[in-house]
Amino acid sequence: MWAYAARRCVIGVVLLLTLTLVTFMLFFAAPVNQARLACGKICNEQQIAVTEKALGYDKPFYAQWGSFVRGVVEGRKYPLDPELRAAAPEIVTDCTAPCLGYSQFNAKTVNELLTEAAPVTISLAVLAVVIWLFFGVLLGIMSAITKGSIIDRGIVGLTLIAFAFPTFFIAVFFLKYVVVKWGLLAYPAYTPIAEGGVGAWFGNLFLPSFTLALVFLASYVRITRAFVLESLSEDYIRTARAKGLKGRTVLFKHGLRAALTPLVTMTGLDFAGLLGGAIITERVFAYPGLGSLTVDASNAWDLPTIIGVVLVAGAFVILMNIIVDIAYAFIDPRVRLG
Amino acid sequence: MTASLTTSGTPAPFLEVDDLKVHFPTSDGIVKATDGLSFTLARGKTLGIVGESGSGKSVSSSAILGLHRGTSAKVSGEIRLDGVDLLTLSNEDMRLHRGKDIAMIFQDPLSAMHPYYSVGAQIAEAYRVHNKVGRKAARSRVVDMLELVGIPQPDRRYDAYPHQFSGGMRQRAMIAMALINDPTLVIADEPTTALDVTVQAQILDLLGNLQKEFNTGVIIITHDLGVVAEMADDVLVMYGGRAVEYGPCNEVLTHPEMPYTWGLLSSVPNLTADTNARMVPIPGNPPSLLNPPTGCAFHPRCGFRDEVPGQLCTTVLPDLEASARPGHLKRCHLANPDRIYEIKVLPEIAPELAKEA
Amino acid sequence: MGMNLKKAVAAGAAAALGMTLAACGGGDSDGPGGKSEATASKGGTLYYLQAFPFEAADPQRIYYGVQLANWRRVLYRGLVAFPMSEDPEVANTPVADLATDTGTASEGGKVWKFTLKDGVKWEDGSDVTCEDVQYGTSRVFANDVIIGGPNYTLSYIDVEDYPGPYKATAEQQAAFEDAVSCEGKTVTFRFNKPWADFPQAAAGMMMVDPYKEASDEGDKGKWNVLSNGPYKVEGGVWDKDKGATLVRNDQYDVKTDKPEELRLALPDVIEWQINNSDTAGELFNDRLIKNSGNDQYAITNARVSPPQFPKITGEVEKRYLNVLSPYNSYLVPNAKRITDVKVKKALAVSLNLNGYVKALGGERTAAPAETIVNPGVSGSQDNPAFAEDNNNDGDPAAAKALLAEAGVKTPYPIKLSYPKTPTADKAMAIIKEGWDAAGFKVTLDGLQDTYYDVAATPNKDSDVLWAGWGADWPSMSTVLPPLFDSRPNFSDATCGNDYGCYQSDAFEALVDESANASTVEDQVAKLQDADKVLGEEFAYMPLEITKFNWLFGSKVTGFTTTAASSAYPELGLIGVETK
Repeated sequence: MWAYAARRCVIGVVLLLTLTLVTFMLFFAAPVNQARLACGKICNEQQIAVTEKALGYDKPFYAQWGSFVRGVVEGRKYPLDPELRAAAPEIVTDCTAPCLGYSQFNAKTVNELLTEAAPVTISLAVLAVVIWLFFGVLLGIMSAITKGSIIDRGIVGLTLIAFAFPTFFIAVFFLKYVVVKWGLLAYPAYTPIAEGGVGAWFGNLFLPSFTLALVFLASYVRITRAFVLESLSEDYIRTARAKGLKGRTVLFKHGLRAALTPLVTMTGLDFAGLLGGAIITERVFAYPGLGSLTVDASNAWDLPTIIGVVLVAGAFVILMNIIVDIAYAFIDPRVRLG
Repeated sequence: MTASLTTSGTPAPFLEVDDLKVHFPTSDGIVKATDGLSFTLARGKTLGIVGESGSGKSVSSSAILGLHRGTSAKVSGEIRLDGVDLLTLSNEDMRLHRGKDIAMIFQDPLSAMHPYYSVGAQIAEAYRVHNKVGRKAARSRVVDMLELVGIPQPDRRYDAYPHQFSGGMRQRAMIAMALINDPTLVIADEPTTALDVTVQAQILDLLGNLQKEFNTGVIIITHDLGVVAEMADDVLVMYGGRAVEYGPCNEVLTHPEMPYTWGLLSSVPNLTADTNARMVPIPGNPPSLLNPPTGCAFHPRCGFRDEVPGQLCTTVLPDLEASARPGHLKRCHLANPDRIYEIKVLPEIAPELAKEA
Repeated sequence: MGMNLKKAVAAGAAAALGMTLAACGGGDSDGPGGKSEATASKGGTLYYLQAFPFEAADPQRIYYGVQLANWRRVLYRGLVAFPMSEDPEVANTPVADLATDTGTASEGGKVWKFTLKDGVKWEDGSDVTCEDVQYGTSRVFANDVIIGGPNYTLSYIDVEDYPGPYKATAEQQAAFEDAVSCEGKTVTFRFNKPWADFPQAAAGMMMVDPYKEASDEGDKGKWNVLSNGPYKVEGGVWDKDKGATLVRNDQYDVKTDKPEELRLALPDVIEWQINNSDTAGELFNDRLIKNSGNDQYAITNARVSPPQFPKITGEVEKRYLNVLSPYNSYLVPNAKRITDVKVKKALAVSLNLNGYVKALGGERTAAPAETIVNPGVSGSQDNPAFAEDNNNDGDPAAAKALLAEAGVKTPYPIKLSYPKTPTADKAMAIIKEGWDAAGFKVTLDGLQDTYYDVAATPNKDSDVLWAGWGADWPSMSTVLPPLFDSRPNFSDATCGNDYGCYQSDAFEALVDESANASTVEDQVAKLQDADKVLGEEFAYMPLEITKFNWLFGSKVTGFTTTAASSAYPELGLIGVETK
């Protein structure tokens, strides 16, 4: 199994390199002069050229990609111009390996930006996963075992409503009504545990996480319901009942074990997706996570930051895939990793 | 119809099923999967229930185990096991019978066993649910049982998962699971259908031997008359949720009196038979249980309606009534089935036998 | 998500385009609403709610009009500054701030001298020196470090090939220090051409603000704030995404200042809260309408959106202000495709501006314009060329006659390009209606994200293009030349900000004369003439002056806008009620 994991990791690294290369290509294929944007409103051609050089955009994209990869291995120093660094050491930013670049837009190394943003997104995603898994699976099971009843119909109906409204709408609704108009909750603003303790962290996180979880919750209710129903119609459930097992044992030990296995995969991948940034939720609640970072960086054509986020998001997805595969081998004895 | 109609039973019957009905209400109407089924079974004896898919065999046996409890199915009639009417028991009492007094062997052991638990653990679970024993005791009991059903190296195989077993081994394990609590009644639902022919024979032998050893009553559900011929003491032929022929195995197989049974016999391939023998499939499809045909449920597929006067077959449901031979019941309007069988059916399916006759 | 990302990007781009236009003009409060009347008193905490992040906290890199205006009042004093007056004439005339006077010009406006006051200090206690002004001015030249921000000084300061202070050789540095020299407390700027409105530029922008060399960290220090104003940023670093808490700067000596004119600095604390969310602006105003808790002490620089207008009634209306903004929008005919001036005039005459304004959201959102020069800019006057449009309803009949006179085939095809938004689509449809009635056949061409890139290309097939502008400081020199002088704008690949690719020798001659004027009055007169030339040739058609709508909490005092605050809340006058 370790050999398998190692092999997958190597493939993952190759994949990530390709990902950064493609991002570079896309970035430079865009019909926008990044240097002109960075330079400002009244820039003549010569000033634009200077800006282009200062940001390193004057070199072909593969050369820039090459320096990026070298920076990951060796680290880099900014500004890129060695003359300038020698003349004014006080303005040098040392970006040690693995250096993911320097964002002129944010005036920070991408590593710093990611270290600041990742905990926000991770907090958000973890709490959201907990919420949607707990309520999604609970309601899904309730719905399945009361199939056709009012409870089942009620739950399915609610999920339809949750589905029908996009996250953006729900988020704005919560802010506009629950927070501002009715004043039921304080206006959420991200507070790290280190600053305000777990209470403040959780209190501020609840609304965004709940918003984020809601649409997943709806789909997990329906998926859980479908899986449980499918599982309960399996032959081995009949066998379990024929053995004389108690209803609860049949449901939890035999039914759910099989029904919830696919959820592990789904949860893993959905979670990985969120770690790349819950863009809409973070934007609406102004949470400075990876999603907000992505949007700001895209608006500003801030390539280093975009690459950094792409890399981190990609790494999360690859890693979660590996974890899910390995977890699956533990859960389902029929699966053997090879 | 009462238990007195039992034929081959020298020992007193310990299972009596009387007018069993299993109806499923659906939005389209009531599906009468089993509609008035009666039979008896003595300890140590075997009843073969034969019929096509959808004839109500499996539904009836599930009803005996009480597996329809908690679903929308309406079960009525009586199922008396050692004098206790199972249908009147509470869910909890029924659960305590299940797996202990009545056990079931399922058709496809791969899907009937949970893929995530080891074979041994699944059998042990069946044992521990009815016996207050520790994990260790259960394990040794299961290993013994696995050995008994002929699984080599049972101690090691205990921890293997179902997918690591061969088909035959899995069915042996299923049998071990069924017999772990020394049940008085075992229902085997198509126990050999999913297996190779050679393995089939082994499994049937095993089942037969164990039955003798434990003096278990066995209901074997099958569509294969060959299995019935080998195993059963009595035979019950089902069609459209009802018994259409019922009697001692020899009787029914040698002198079948119902065209549907003839059809079943004629569709049995027989390696030893004359090469001139024809396999005659039964035309048409099994009847709808939602809107069953009027009169005799078999009439749309019956080739012998001409032999019955008037519109009797299409209008009147024949009773399950005694035929000329003792202990043999049939549900058919034909007045002289033996003659028709000899003249019209045997020459087609077994020319040699016909000549001898 | 891809879809939403795109939207978010589009929204952000629009915001950026709107806001990079630093502006110091505008601000007549002519709409309904009331200024807060409560008496000003010192103390308390003011909450300042902001729905977008700044681009930098470094004075030489700040370009947002609202930030320039607000920060001048609280953090960064300039050599000179615009006074807090509701009279635009007063507000557009700089007064001395760090300097002892508003500067002395010599050599026909090519040399400017300022002397620093005694006792002006940085928050760390050190004096603001002439060398700090010199160093700050030099930083703008470091294009490779101090990226972004206004850089007008580059084309004026009399020095060549100066790469900024970081990598200049000793000679290059010496050459610069000749051009911007220090004698004691007096700094002398030497320009290569006259710069009559330099004090206005120095007041409105921070290009020549002092910067302390010892604390310079280049790009790394983009968010550092070393204040010389009445407040300082707690912790010294501005958080781009969250804002900061502003507390009193104990090194600030009010005796060096003119509080009544430049900054009252009433609250003890200013909680400047940034929420960089697409919906934050609307929610801020929802909160101000509700007016509960700390929001009673809050102001915002997020404008009230038209859907919220109906909620501004009763008590809320007393906390509401509707003012003209420094932003104008206009149309330009593409000179490469429409050459006949009669056709251009026909377009101008049949422009239904009243309908256009109505489609934008009515009189609270915009006012029809009669010139491209915002009324907040010194010397703004209606351009007579645009008077014949039937009181802004449009005159299709007159336009028809003009087209007949021109002898062009009708219907005359017109492709009208603009950045696509649902509101713009509605408003442009009104223009199309009027023009179609006049004998044109208009195709609406709503463009997505990269509108300004497309608009700048010389060989586009658009006949008429939409554009918007705000003056960098309240002088026509930051309006007409940047938009219509072909010389700084044209290159092989682009027409620059001159989207219509307009070129006129007469116009450019007047621009040159204005640039060489040694007094502001002269300069204004020449540019007024230049605007007349543009009108006669129909180089543009004015559309509207955008209006701003502000709400503020019930315990906020002194809320108003001035020309000096770019029609944003005038932070220097605002305080809160104290118990």
